[in-house]
Amino acid sequence: MTREAGPTVEARPARAPAESGNGSPTEVPNPLRQGLRLERMPAPCTMVIIGATGDLTRRKLGPALYNLMLGGFLPPEFTVVGFARREMSDAEFRDHLREGIDAYSRNKPVKRSIWDSFSQGIEYHRGEFHEPASYKELAARLERIDRDRGTSGNRLFYLAVPPVLYPEIVKQLGMAGLAASGEARGDARRGWSRVIVEKPFGSDLSSARKLNREIREVFGEDQIFRIDHYLGKETVQNLAVFRFGNGLFEPIWNRRYIDSVQITVAETVGVEERGEFYDQTGALRDIVQNHGLQLMATFGMEPPVEFKAEDLRDEKLKVLRAVKPMSTSEVVQNTVRGQYVSGWVEGTKVHAYRDEPEVNPASQTETYVALKLAVDSWRWAGVPVYLRTGKAMPTRATEIAVQFKRAPLALFARAGMPQIDPNILAIRIQPDEGILLRFGAKVPGQGLNIRSVNMDFRYGASFAVDSPDAYETLLLDCMIGDASLFTRDDEVERAWEIIDPILRAWESGEGGPLHFYGAGTWGPPAADELLERDGRAWRKP
Amino acid sequence: MARRSASERELAVHRQLMRFGEAESLATPMWEQRGTTVAAIEAQLARLWDVQSQTTSEGDQLVTEKGLPHARASVLNLIVTAANAETADRVVQTLLSLGIRHPSRAIVLVADHRAAGDPLDVRISTHCNTGGMDQICYEEVVLTVRGDKAEHLAGIVAPLLIHDLPTFTWWPGDPPFRDPVFDQLVELSDRLIVDSSDFGDLLAGLRRLAAIERRSGIGDLAWERLGPWQERIAQFFDAPRFRRYLPNLNRLIVRYAVPAMGSRRTRHAGVDAGLHTHLAPMAQPTLLAGWLAARLGWRRNRTLDPLLDGSMRLRLEGRHEMVDLRIQAEPTDQLPAGELTSVRLRSYGETGAAEFIIDRTGDEAVVATNADGMTALLRRITMEVPREAELLSQQLIDDQADPVYEAALHAATGFLAAARTEEAPALPVSPAQELGG
Repeated sequence: MTREAGPTVEARPARAPAESGNGSPTEVPNPLRQGLRLERMPAPCTMVIIGATGDLTRRKLGPALYNLMLGGFLPPEFTVVGFARREMSDAEFRDHLREGIDAYSRNKPVKRSIWDSFSQGIEYHRGEFHEPASYKELAARLERIDRDRGTSGNRLFYLAVPPVLYPEIVKQLGMAGLAASGEARGDARRGWSRVIVEKPFGSDLSSARKLNREIREVFGEDQIFRIDHYLGKETVQNLAVFRFGNGLFEPIWNRRYIDSVQITVAETVGVEERGEFYDQTGALRDIVQNHGLQLMATFGMEPPVEFKAEDLRDEKLKVLRAVKPMSTSEVVQNTVRGQYVSGWVEGTKVHAYRDEPEVNPASQTETYVALKLAVDSWRWAGVPVYLRTGKAMPTRATEIAVQFKRAPLALFARAGMPQIDPNILAIRIQPDEGILLRFGAKVPGQGLNIRSVNMDFRYGASFAVDSPDAYETLLLDCMIGDASLFTRDDEVERAWEIIDPILRAWESGEGGPLHFYGAGTWGPPAADELLERDGRAWRKP
Repeated sequence: MARRSASERELAVHRQLMRFGEAESLATPMWEQRGTTVAAIEAQLARLWDVQSQTTSEGDQLVTEKGLPHARASVLNLIVTAANAETADRVVQTLLSLGIRHPSRAIVLVADHRAAGDPLDVRISTHCNTGGMDQICYEEVVLTVRGDKAEHLAGIVAPLLIHDLPTFTWWPGDPPFRDPVFDQLVELSDRLIVDSSDFGDLLAGLRRLAAIERRSGIGDLAWERLGPWQERIAQFFDAPRFRRYLPNLNRLIVRYAVPAMGSRRTRHAGVDAGLHTHLAPMAQPTLLAGWLAARLGWRRNRTLDPLLDGSMRLRLEGRHEMVDLRIQAEPTDQLPAGELTSVRLRSYGETGAAEFIIDRTGDEAVVATNADGMTALLRRITMEVPREAELLSQQLIDDQADPVYEAALHAATGFLAAARTEEAPALPVSPAQELGG
């Protein structure tokens, strides 16, 4: 057997590299980590969950932490402090978490002996969110944990509370001296401090700016991690690998070859128990402002200099900046809003939106949005991006579909025969992540009949590797200090700059009427007309 | 147990496959032919999925966007040898339990050049497994090759592979390293997967592995079993305050399970206890010691206690300290033979001795750090014995040579050679040089 000249062997392709996974960058790296499957290990830290008795902790955070621990991703020193108003003992809080894991974790039920050991690092801190004394006590507790458990002064604050409470809590954290990281305090050995906030980030441009300003008065932008769980779904990396890891697609990823783009985020569910929240929010704020525009930015961005957080976010921001905010007349022309009336979804009768609990019976809130956006960049000028999202749709599907231009000459079109369908490349994000390419092929036999065929690739059918829950990925990334999958302040604000004029036009009543559509249909007819005007049609994903 | 005859063996494989068929439902009818030809098998593989494509009442091919009848992305070919009855049973068992992580096409070879009868029998089955929402389909080709043809397996297998895909060969049991058939199949594949825990002669086997180079490297299930141990050991030194103990490690004790006296329990149910020599279960402890030595630049100094009853003791030369390496057999019925039971590292730091301990009982382990004069940090973790199918599926995902494994292999070979009294060290061992420090 001879030695082959194979490709040079390098470390496994890492994601956006960790900045300080194993201590500060000046430290000698751990030589035993080289080549191991888990190359990204967070430094020892304490995670403080503020609002720890709520639903998010029980359903998402507890299970995510437990699974990370089971997978060996958390250092032994890792500690959790739950902070909330309710009177509760450490033991009761541990039980609260354990019940959540038993109910919602992808690994369940909890293994008793493992849990007993892990839960020794879980504490409960009772306090009021507006009382400085509560934070002083918290600071003292964290100092003690640093000493006892060796968490090196690294703290992660998770704000699992309604956004109205963010400013107050952040202010209090700052006053208690908990927000400054070691570097800022002139003591690099004192570790880092980071804060995770959940969407929604504001309800319009001015409130988002205000919120960003208030948080930034205390935390630096590099300490703030705005979570958008959609971005934790491996989508960003897959999309980036597809575009920038293959030589085939990037050369045609532009206005010369692409005719138009359709982005769909369709849900089959109605508003469920979120009636009150949703009625004040609507689909534009709930989905388009964050997930929708983030998907578009990831799809359309230029290749980043490096696959790192700041470079990625710079490129995404450029795409958002190239989308010009609409005037009122453009809103009328390029947007459609809809609200579902009763119908049938997946064989189940669905009530009209206005009949849902906690929804205003005369509500004007949109549950469906279709937009035609223009990205005025060198790469995308003249390529319309059609973005739609809706509740009570026929199927649950999130996808980005690229329609390519037709061949320059209709060589095979005969009299009376329709033209060959344009080529389509669809990137499906959920439910079954995959890539589909549609092209024309000759039907075997005499004569020249052409049909469109699909080349269908599914990640799940090829790799069958369990994907971690989005919260697991995002929590681990935050502990490692990798912000690639989190949204930066300028991205959030730019997204609101795009959304704001549409909101204002709709609210003033000059932005076009609210259309109605039956639950279980693909939205109001006006949305179809939006594309028909351009000689196009929506896909049925 | 006496060796079973060829026909009994085939019957056993067949029964296993039939059981599989019931459990997982065949996607297409099983196709079986005795005394067939490679060309006939090729033709059958080409039209394998035709049965599935649907036609409309007008006779048109039905094209749908979702749930394509044969929506299927091909990832890799897997050749599996089943050189004897025991491994044949095991192969089928493992492939069955791979769950949704199947290779796209698996070719199972049952070869016996001494057997008489039809030179080539084949059984082709296709299976679709619904894991979550996705349907994963794969093809299994079981070839029974007899007589002269059994000495030219590569020529039979090559036309049956899905073209343009990486090809892995899994050789369970004790591979016939000196057999030309082994060379042929290794030559045909991008990656060779073995389990050094099964080697009859561990030292010879590891030496041979070290000499083989394939594009996608060598996979060793014994190494894969060490994964959780390596993670936990590395984790000790992730915290900067403990990392400074690393250069000053001066003792490593690795204990591993051997069957308790009078016990007949072996690593694989149904395998003759006599299949393993007393040396074979040492693959895991030796590779783990080799890994640490290679990563930390320890060189072999001298043998303190030569290999006896599965235990040995060597003195190694670390960066700052001499390292006392002890590999010890621990009789137990709690764990399969060869599994690690304990890893203990000791170091002298600025503030005194430190100890890093992983002690395993059953499927759990206690991890403890005792350093800096601090109270020991104790933690209980899961440490389950992974199923062979899990190890294999992980090896099917990896497709790169692993320099860390190669360095560990090299060091482990040196340790074994030094500790075996009957022969002089054959390889100059300097793992540190090999790694460039």
